[in-house]
Parts: sequence; structure tokens; C-alpha cells
Amino acid sequence: MSAVIRFESYTWRYSRTKQPALDAIDLEIEEGAIVGVIGPNGSGKTTLAYSINGLIPRQEMGVRKGKVYVMGREVMAYTPAELCQRVGLVFSDPEAQFTAMTVEDEVVFGMENLGLPIEEIERRLAWVVPLTEIGPLMDKPPYEVSGGQKQRVALASVLAMRPPILVLDEPTTMLDPLGRRRVFQVLERLKREYQSTIIVIEHSLEHLIPLADHMVLLYYGKVLLADETEPFFERLAFLMEHDVFPPGVVEFFYHLKQAGEYPADAPLPLTVEDGTARLRELLGGKG
Amino acid sequence: MQKMHKTILGYVPEASPLYEVHPFVRLYFLMVVSIFPMIIGAPEWNLALILVVLVLMKYGRVSLSTLKLYVPISISMGMLILLSYTLLGGIHPEFHVVFRILGFPIYYERIEAAVEVYTRILPMIFVMVLFLSTSRERDVLVAMRWARIPFTVTYMTAMALRAVGMVIEDFSIVRQAEKARGFDPHGKSLGYKLRQFVMYIIPLMALSLRRSEEFTKAIVARGYSFTGLKNVKRPDYVLSKYPFRTRDAVLILIITGFLIGILYLRYGLGMLTLEGSVTQRWLRQWLLGGAA
Repeated sequence: MSAVIRFESYTWRYSRTKQPALDAIDLEIEEGAIVGVIGPNGSGKTTLAYSINGLIPRQEMGVRKGKVYVMGREVMAYTPAELCQRVGLVFSDPEAQFTAMTVEDEVVFGMENLGLPIEEIERRLAWVVPLTEIGPLMDKPPYEVSGGQKQRVALASVLAMRPPILVLDEPTTMLDPLGRRRVFQVLERLKREYQSTIIVIEHSLEHLIPLADHMVLLYYGKVLLADETEPFFERLAFLMEHDVFPPGVVEFFYHLKQAGEYPADAPLPLTVEDGTARLRELLGGKG
Repeated sequence: MQKMHKTILGYVPEASPLYEVHPFVRLYFLMVVSIFPMIIGAPEWNLALILVVLVLMKYGRVSLSTLKLYVPISISMGMLILLSYTLLGGIHPEFHVVFRILGFPIYYERIEAAVEVYTRILPMIFVMVLFLSTSRERDVLVAMRWARIPFTVTYMTAMALRAVGMVIEDFSIVRQAEKARGFDPHGKSLGYKLRQFVMYIIPLMALSLRRSEEFTKAIVARGYSFTGLKNVKRPDYVLSKYPFRTRDAVLILIITGFLIGILYLRYGLGMLTLEGSVTQRWLRQWLLGGAA
């Protein structure tokens, strides 16, 4: 697969800070992959997201070095309108991005900006509304629906623009567990049915891990680790040293492995289902 | 009981036959019918206009209890008008004195003028209440867009409406946060409250600045620019959901017809004035006993 996003020795320093938010990073993201980006607060995750869709450097003051390529072209070679058709960005606070009076207006806003004909807008609505399950909300003000619904509205308003690349900046930070699950269910459908390239910046690993093909650890401006999800979590000690707290099931099997209770060469289970199956095998083997 | 829905502008019924009318017609009604009391001087006709508005509110399933919200402002406005026209109306030896308060003469002509002005203002308030009670925020924007007001202007209006709601929410959050930390201006003097108001203003300003930055990023990320996309005509999906029907055109004609009719009666035939009105005759009879 080819890389749809490529960072080449990319550095960004905000004018108000001394240290760069991203420091000479090199990173490639393949087409159709779901990539989870993790790291502690202040590690440059949002800067990475904004650098892909051009909000950096267009809406921020700072110093930029290196290159960011999106679908083979440098980000700055695109006009903002061209770029937003290629990269959709969902913010962590959905309410902050609502500018319309009804959910329907909010979802069509981006499509109107693109100058799409009414028939095409209707076609896309017919696709995105059931996908994100926001049908009953269409006439309501977007700021009056629940947290999970708000994030699905925000997601729908970006998806409706049909960007081949979707970047979600901590989309579930403000949501309850049910809201989180439903947002990830939408992402799962996008992966399964549309093979979209999705970059998810997220702290909630239990939902992200089953979905992600690749993981990236950002740590204070540096890409410390980037790998496929399974081998990524094999380096658990390294991750924990860098403030990554894995789901309980991963940590549990890691401790079993350390204690010699779990085969050293066996991969760590990443989900509860996987862990349950492995535990059954272990117990069955002993019994 | 009709279920009402809260909007930034007021309360609207969940369902109403008036929603079948194009939002522009509702806006046109507001703009044109509000002018009627400026033309009509006879209080009884202005009171009749209030009745018409009440009938429309009832037909539109507007909960008439929403009118309670406007009672204090209507009463205080009436009092202010009456006071400024009578007690503060000056000395006019040519006018008829009805009675005196602490030696100040209260003239019949000033009372008559106060009644005229008040009965001009009241229907305007009612027309505005009808509009606010039957128009959601989206309707206002649709009406403006249908009137070919540039998208940038209507969008700014939408943002302003949205910002009002957000500032109210933010104010409530900041106030709760201040209270949670022991700040309670209850029972303190007005001066103290005003001084402490700075405590609200600073976080509100900071929140507003942050919000505007987030708004900007959000709309830029979805391809919005004030100049629009080059060579791309911006479609109006929302407007396409509100077809302007023949019935709407007829309603516009009827409203315009009424305006022309009233203008003709007032300036062509000299009717609808305070002079010779039923109210004036009744007031004279009551206050002057037919002396004037």
C-alpha cells in the first residue's frame, strides 16, 4: 500500500513556546489504515492533526520546518478548500465546532461550502445520517443533544464531505462509555465498509486497540514508536515507561508473562475477548 | 396542552399550522404589520390589531401564557409613558386640567396623547411576540436568505444567535464555579455587586476568545471562507427545504394590500386618527364630562 500521509523531518514550534511541539518527525501513514496516535498531554498529538489538515500553519503562528505530504502533495500546495476535501478533521469538543441552528444545517454546512448540487447533498445525507444514526436529531439544535450524539453529529458533518482521510482529535474525551462505544462503532463501519484512512488520537485504548492497524507513540514532540498494533504492545515496558497505560487485560497478561505464567513467545492479548480465550487455554492446559 | 420548545428567541410550539407559512412571510408580517400602529392613531383600531394577533397566536397554537413574560415590560412602559406625558409633561395653560397631584396640573390632552402612544406601542410588542413565538432561529435565517441577503451576513447572524446562547451558558457555568468557591453576592449592595461583576467578565472574555478561535478552526476545516470557493456557486440546501408556494405569495399580497389600504384610509381619507375616534369621545366624556 502507498503512503497517503508522509511527514519528512517535520518540525513545528508555536511562536508562544520555546520547545517545538513536533520535533523533526518522520512518519508514514498508509492508505486505508486505521492509525491510533497516543501519548501524554502536550506530546504534540493535536499539532500532528492540525498539520495534516493545514490548520497549521494557516491558523496558528509559529515556525515550520520539513514537509507534510497528503496524497502526494505538500500540504501548503493545497488551497484550504482543496485540502478539506481530502482531510476531514473532528475536534475533541464537538460543541465548539457547531455553528448552525439545527443538526441538519450543521451536517450540510461543509457540503454547501464545497458547492455540491442539492441532489448530491441529499444523496450524501441519505448515506451519512443512517451511518452515524442521527436521523431523529435532524431538526434539533446540535448543542441540545447528548454528548455522544454531539460527537456523532460532528463526525457526520465531516464524513458528509467524503474526505478520503479522516483525522479525529480525541473524539471521545468528553463522552460517557456508551457515547464512546457508539463513536467507535461508526469508525468500525467506516473501516469495514469504506476502507477509509483514519487517524485517531485517543486516550481510551480499550476501544482503539481492536480497531487500529497501526499505533504511533508521540512523546514530547518525537515519534518514539510506530508499528503494527500487536508488536507495538509487545513493548509494553517501554510504553509504560512513557506514560502509556494499557487496558487492564494487556497489563494482566504482561504480568503473567513476567512471572513466567504465560508463554514468553506468545503475543499479549489486546482485547477482553482475546484475553478470555487465552486464559481459558491456560487454565484448560493446567487442568 | 401544547408542548413548547425553547429557542434563543423565546418559546415556540412544537407543531403549529403557522409553520406551513414560509418563514419570509412571517418576517414580512413582522416588518409590515409593525408599521400599522405608526400609521393608525385611533386606539380602538390598534387594540383591534392586538385582538387579531391574539387570534393568530391561538390559531398558531402558541401558549398564551408566554405573554406573561411580557406583562412587566408592558406595564412599566405604560407607566413611563403616562408619567412622562402627564407629571413631566410641562405647563400648558391652553390645555384642560383634569385634576392636580401635589399641585401639578394633569391635563386631559396629555392623558389622551399618552393613551394614543401606548396603544401604538402595545400592538408592536404583540406582533413581535407572535413572531418570536412562531419562528425558530432557523426560520429567521431562511427568511433572510430567501430575501437574498448575502450568505456571509446571514451566517454572521447565525453565529451571533449561537454566540448569545453560548455566552448565557458560559455565564451560568462561571457563576456556578464562583459560587462553588464561596462567592455569594446575595444581600450585598449594588455597588459591591457591580465591582464583583468583574469576576464574571474576565473568565467570560477568556472563554469567548477561546470559543471564537475554535469556531474559526472548525469552519476553516470545513472549507468555509468569507469569499467562498473560487468559481463555485454556493448551493442553499436549507432554503431548498422551504419552498415558496402560491399561498405564500397570496399572503404577501394580502399583507401589502392591508398596508396600502391603511395608508389610503389614513392619508387619503383622513380616517384612523385619534381625532374623532371612539376612544377619544369616550375619554372626553369620562375625564371632562363633555366639557371640551
